[in-house]
Amino acid sequence: MAYSKKLLDHYENPRNIGSLDKNDDGVGTGLVGAPACGDVMKLQIKVGEDGIIEDAKFKTFGCGSAIASSSLVTEWVKGKSIDDAAGIKNSEIAQHLALPPVKIHCSVLAEDAIKAAVSDYKVKQGVGEKKIKAAE
Amino acid sequence: MHEQIKQVPRSRPANDSGIVVCWSCKGPVESGVLFCPVCEAVQPPGQLDHFFRLGLEVSFDVDQKMLDRRYFDLQRHLHPDRFATKTPRERALSQSQATSLNQAYEVLKDDLGRADYLIHLQGAEVPEGCNLINDQKLLMESLELREALAKAKTAVEVDALAGRAAGDIETCVEQLSSLFAADDLEGACRLATRLKYFRKLAEETRQARARLVDG
Repeated sequence: MAYSKKLLDHYENPRNIGSLDKNDDGVGTGLVGAPACGDVMKLQIKVGEDGIIEDAKFKTFGCGSAIASSSLVTEWVKGKSIDDAAGIKNSEIAQHLALPPVKIHCSVLAEDAIKAAVSDYKVKQGVGEKKIKAAE
Repeated sequence: MHEQIKQVPRSRPANDSGIVVCWSCKGPVESGVLFCPVCEAVQPPGQLDHFFRLGLEVSFDVDQKMLDRRYFDLQRHLHPDRFATKTPRERALSQSQATSLNQAYEVLKDDLGRADYLIHLQGAEVPEGCNLINDQKLLMESLELREALAKAKTAVEVDALAGRAAGDIETCVEQLSSLFAADDLEGACRLATRLKYFRKLAEETRQARARLVDG
């Protein structure tokens, strides 16, 4: 199967591999998996007070397309607002990397991971506000 | 010649009348038999469930020896040599019978294949491509184990993880057996997913081991 140059580049030189402190209130963590292939993908975002994503990291154990999809998403979300990041569509990822049809589910996984990270961040912020109110 | 086949006890779905028409002599034939008892023509494979095709009870607990015996017994009657002098239609039908039998055997002999198939038979869907899961505990556990494997530098470390995977796979299979026996479909789905992840870990440990040997 012929893979696109962009896909191979992200696979061979993945951007932003690593972890952020998941206990930090400004960090949202998304952990998703595709059992059919036994893939697991962790995507984390560090959000500034202005709601803009300052940093993003990922760790993916799976096929090359899953690694490339998550690598690409971490690159895309930096500098975006959390709502814009959550609006990333798997079709955009698949199109950018020219994923073959059998690998489309890898882009779905990456979309799900960023959505989960944003929602984790929002939950944390919500909980944080409640804590402050309770303290008052 | 086909006495053995006819004697195989089969569990039949309640809504199945069990009688079809023989394509060759137009007489009535029990569905699922390989050969018409009257004209001896090989029958089409039809839409039988895998357990029925191999003459087994629908259950997660399959006696592997029995399964092998049924499979090889049935397959022997479908050997191409037996059809060398038959009509093209009979040759084609024996081929499709053999294919259906192979498919059924491949699914049933594998613990995970059998679990997924049973879940499917009970009406729940097990998508092949993408089924995202939200079992955070399982995902976290899998992530940590795969990270540990990525960091493992020695055969001892890799073997420890391989042992962990093997132990978990065994536990999964035991628990699947009780869950299916108790008709706990949701629990079985969860365990089947866990089994998939630990199978993947086992596969990755084998690859890591091979790399260590090569290096």
